[in-house]
Amino acid sequence: MIELLRRVLRSPQGALGLVLVGLILLVVILGPWIAPYNPESLAPLQRYKPPSAQFWLGTDQYGRDILSRLLHGARATVVLAVFATALGTLAGALIGTISAFLGGRSDEAIMRTVDAVMSIPSLLLALLIVNLLGKSSLNALLAIAIAFTPGMARVTRSVALAVRKQDYVNAAIARGESAGFIVWREMLPNVVAPIIVEMTIRVAFAVMLFATLSFLGLGAQPPASEWGLMVAEARRFMHLSPWMILWPSLAVAFVAIGFNLLGDGLRDALNPRT
Amino acid sequence: MTPILDITGYCLDYATPAGFTRALDEVTLSVAKGEVLGLVGESGSGKTSLAWAIMRHLPESAREAGRISLVDKDLTTASAAEIDAFRGRRIGMVFQDPSTSLNPTLPLGEQLAEVLEHHRGLTRKQAWAEGEAMLARVGLKLPAQMMQRYPHEASGGEKQRVVIATAFACQPECIIFDEPTTALDVITARQILDLFGELQAETGVASLYISHDLALVSRVANRVAVIHRGRIVEQGRVQDVFAAPQDAYTRDLLAAVPRPDHRLVEAGPGMEVKALVEVDKVSVRYGRKPFLSKLLRRENTQFTGNREVSLSVREGEILGIVGESGSGKSTLAKALTGLNPFEGELRFAGRPIGGLKDMDRAYRRDVQIIFQHPDSSLNPRQRIREILSRPLALYGTPEQRSDKTAIGALLEQVRLPAGYADRYPHQLSGGEKQRVAIARAFASRPKLVICDEITSALDVSVQASVIELLVDFQKRFGTAYLFITHDLNLVRQIAHRIAVMYRGDLVDLVDVADLSGGALHPYTRSLIDAIPAPAAIRA
Amino acid sequence: MSPAYILKRIVLVGYTLLVVSLIVFAITQILPADAAVMMLGENATAEALAALRAQMGLDAPIWAQYGHWLAGVLRGDFGVSMRTGQQVGPVMIEALGRSLLLALFSIVLMLMLALPLGIIAAVRRGRIADLVVSVISYIGVSLPEFVTATLVVLVLADWLQWLPATGYVPLTENLLQGLRHLVLPVLTISVILIAHVSRMVRSELVDVLHTDYIRAARLKGLPGRTVLYKHALRNALLPTITIVALDIGYLLGGVIVVEEIFALPGIGRQLIVAIQSRDLPSIQAGALIMAATYAVASFLADIAYARLDRRIQYD
Repeated sequence: MIELLRRVLRSPQGALGLVLVGLILLVVILGPWIAPYNPESLAPLQRYKPPSAQFWLGTDQYGRDILSRLLHGARATVVLAVFATALGTLAGALIGTISAFLGGRSDEAIMRTVDAVMSIPSLLLALLIVNLLGKSSLNALLAIAIAFTPGMARVTRSVALAVRKQDYVNAAIARGESAGFIVWREMLPNVVAPIIVEMTIRVAFAVMLFATLSFLGLGAQPPASEWGLMVAEARRFMHLSPWMILWPSLAVAFVAIGFNLLGDGLRDALNPRT
Repeated sequence: MTPILDITGYCLDYATPAGFTRALDEVTLSVAKGEVLGLVGESGSGKTSLAWAIMRHLPESAREAGRISLVDKDLTTASAAEIDAFRGRRIGMVFQDPSTSLNPTLPLGEQLAEVLEHHRGLTRKQAWAEGEAMLARVGLKLPAQMMQRYPHEASGGEKQRVVIATAFACQPECIIFDEPTTALDVITARQILDLFGELQAETGVASLYISHDLALVSRVANRVAVIHRGRIVEQGRVQDVFAAPQDAYTRDLLAAVPRPDHRLVEAGPGMEVKALVEVDKVSVRYGRKPFLSKLLRRENTQFTGNREVSLSVREGEILGIVGESGSGKSTLAKALTGLNPFEGELRFAGRPIGGLKDMDRAYRRDVQIIFQHPDSSLNPRQRIREILSRPLALYGTPEQRSDKTAIGALLEQVRLPAGYADRYPHQLSGGEKQRVAIARAFASRPKLVICDEITSALDVSVQASVIELLVDFQKRFGTAYLFITHDLNLVRQIAHRIAVMYRGDLVDLVDVADLSGGALHPYTRSLIDAIPAPAAIRA
Repeated sequence: MSPAYILKRIVLVGYTLLVVSLIVFAITQILPADAAVMMLGENATAEALAALRAQMGLDAPIWAQYGHWLAGVLRGDFGVSMRTGQQVGPVMIEALGRSLLLALFSIVLMLMLALPLGIIAAVRRGRIADLVVSVISYIGVSLPEFVTATLVVLVLADWLQWLPATGYVPLTENLLQGLRHLVLPVLTISVILIAHVSRMVRSELVDVLHTDYIRAARLKGLPGRTVLYKHALRNALLPTITIVALDIGYLLGGVIVVEEIFALPGIGRQLIVAIQSRDLPSIQAGALIMAATYAVASFLADIAYARLDRRIQYD
């Protein structure tokens, strides 16, 4: 683990990504404690304030402190995105592994179906599913997980097939190792690394997708301080206070950049041959 | 005679985070008109760096000293424009692998004609006509068609002829040949070598012939330079260097060259020794019928890997299998280890093995395989300790399993330090990795070890030490080998009998002694003729 | 490229649409809301509801409903909107036309910017230009459309007042005004595509520039420009075709958000309206048409790839 961190820190992307994601996790954990105000407390006299010493990022249409809302909202946005990605990865990895393992016609049938599902844009699929399940954060999480599943299945299958062709797997078969040993000890450690990289990059995408769903009114519901929702609500007041819309937008981009950088850093660090 | 290419006191360093590392050290050599200088060295010796230095193709981290002159011009001080003007026009180059040195998306003719257009100012039409004539000159049967073809539509030999035609296109004064036959099959390589000889004699071009293969250089070169760790350790006329090598490294290198007359094993087991493995009419077919082709009633697209191959290996015998790539050698190895389904009969120690399900624990323990590339056969995420512990866990004695020094003992057996147990494969050199693979195969005390091209990715000297290890094991443990290789000279040194495979068929199965005379299949004949027997080497 | 390959690809497009139709139908038909109740309101009599269900075929078994719907779709009949009572098909196709215009402009802009950026970054690898392109693309891929839209509206429409923030004018009505209304949406959609494709072009080109055949071309004494444009780009751009085709799926998702934000009456906006009002036939038609657009686009990309890449023998 220490070794991995050291290797991630070696590339500029990895180092920067690690710092950003570290900051994000800190905010996710400590956000509610370090927030200077209650994110729900209304202050009719303090509406549409620009950034100041009192309100670092300004206030919104109800006079709520934007910084406090962002700090509280980090949990809603980031944690959900991570869970959604993990769930989608798990489901996709399962389908991809089974497909690669079965091979032949079953593999082809599964993969053609996965391709077919992938022809529905992720956002549209998520919209349809949320619409089916009802608007809520939890349903948005499920929708994103389902939308990610086919893509992860494809990645997992191609990685598993590439590993399956390696001679160390052939050597294990020729040595008479059990199927379980071959899958768990020989193949899995080599399959997991690229999947972790793909997953990290997809967290960035999930944050964006989840915020977009909330923005369209189909994810988190008011008065939650989810960032996409904050942007949606702030749109009406754009002329009165551009800060209201700017901060949550930048927060989403910040998280996405962090995970994108970390994913690329991990890609280099997890390559066993460098 | 005045030298065309003249290198004096040339040094090359590459900047690394840890400072400069020396790639070439005080290299001095020259090539005159009509002369072939062979530059021989192993991987990492600096021979390719020297080629790049001459072609002025160096990374920015390079720092150099000394002179490289082409006739009267010092290339190390040439401007970018001057470099563009002499590359391809005054110095040509022939690359190692024609399948990667030709652009896959351009027709062969275009890649030849563009040089003529650029350097000789021909019009497109003239260049294509001239190109066609050149292709005819390098022995291509249908030059007009070949001009139109894309690289994937031509064979390796045909592509290398196009590359050679391109190098000779502008009648350069000097050509660098960088291992031009290494990537080709034996018989094709021989034909390319003959072509080189003809063109060289006809044009009198000053040639620098780079190779790792001493035997080959002894046939093509007038003079030879041996390079080791960036230094030219010996230089002189081919006969002199090979007859009386002055440098210790040259002597080691010469000794490592496989020579059929220098047998490394004792006589094989006699006819009375019973067969360990009997392969009886074993066939392997790849691929399945694609659904659509069946629908469109197209012919069977299945591909045959082995066609009714029959052979046997006696206990303690080394049976060599030779053949070019795609001849089905490895397919047979995979069938024997249950990696390929097969048809036909297989008997091990008299016991019939009908297929995968019959390959039980005892069979797995007794039959081991070593693969060509240790990079692929050793799991990159496992330490050497874990890699070597598996055969012990499966087949070792209870003492071995509980003994903490067992892994170290296995390593020492293959002459590696016991401390390597805690390393990962990528921390070892190619030869060391292959030794680990050998240790793994021998850990279960097998009766038969299948060696699938296990030395072809290694340097000559490393190959020699690996072979020595295998021969030693054979003597100590009485293990039988199925030794698969494309190197006829190597296999003649160590095999008791040799099987020759050609396009999936077993065409010959003879005693080593009968290879020099006797009735042989025409393919075997041409294989023997094609291999430069190191006759000139008289150590 | 053999006719069998094209035939196979066409069969695959058909299979894709079949799977998509099943998914879309399944998702929409098991919606919790009862379509008949939605249309007639909570106070409708049981008889009226039953009559409407019979009329809409909602009382038939689910497979029969699917078969009925699919048969209609194959005839080009997507049913009648529950919201407006209009035929869904023509409305959606018309909306698709406007979305395709938006998509087309975005792809053109993307190619105009992403290719040069990727090429510069690859050629000047490790230099300042590479770093700048890399930073731009990291930021670009991390901006969701609604954020980009917010930023461009804030700057170009709100502060500088150069362009209209929302609305749509058909190009046939007033070309200049129509184009002015398209600028911000096109810009918004392109940002993520430019960032992604320029990164891909860079990495493909960096790989190609390290191949033996590029070195061989250099050592033949060909000028740098010839090596880059004639030898390297050809090979680097081939895989990019596939990536652009895959990005079309992403682009279509982006279209939904962008049309909603800029009030463009394209298929994305129709879909959002349909989803919000639970207009089942419109949702089904919109989703199916969108997936079909993607399937056809990737089919064309595959054919283009197969035609351009002479190496691969398709069967």
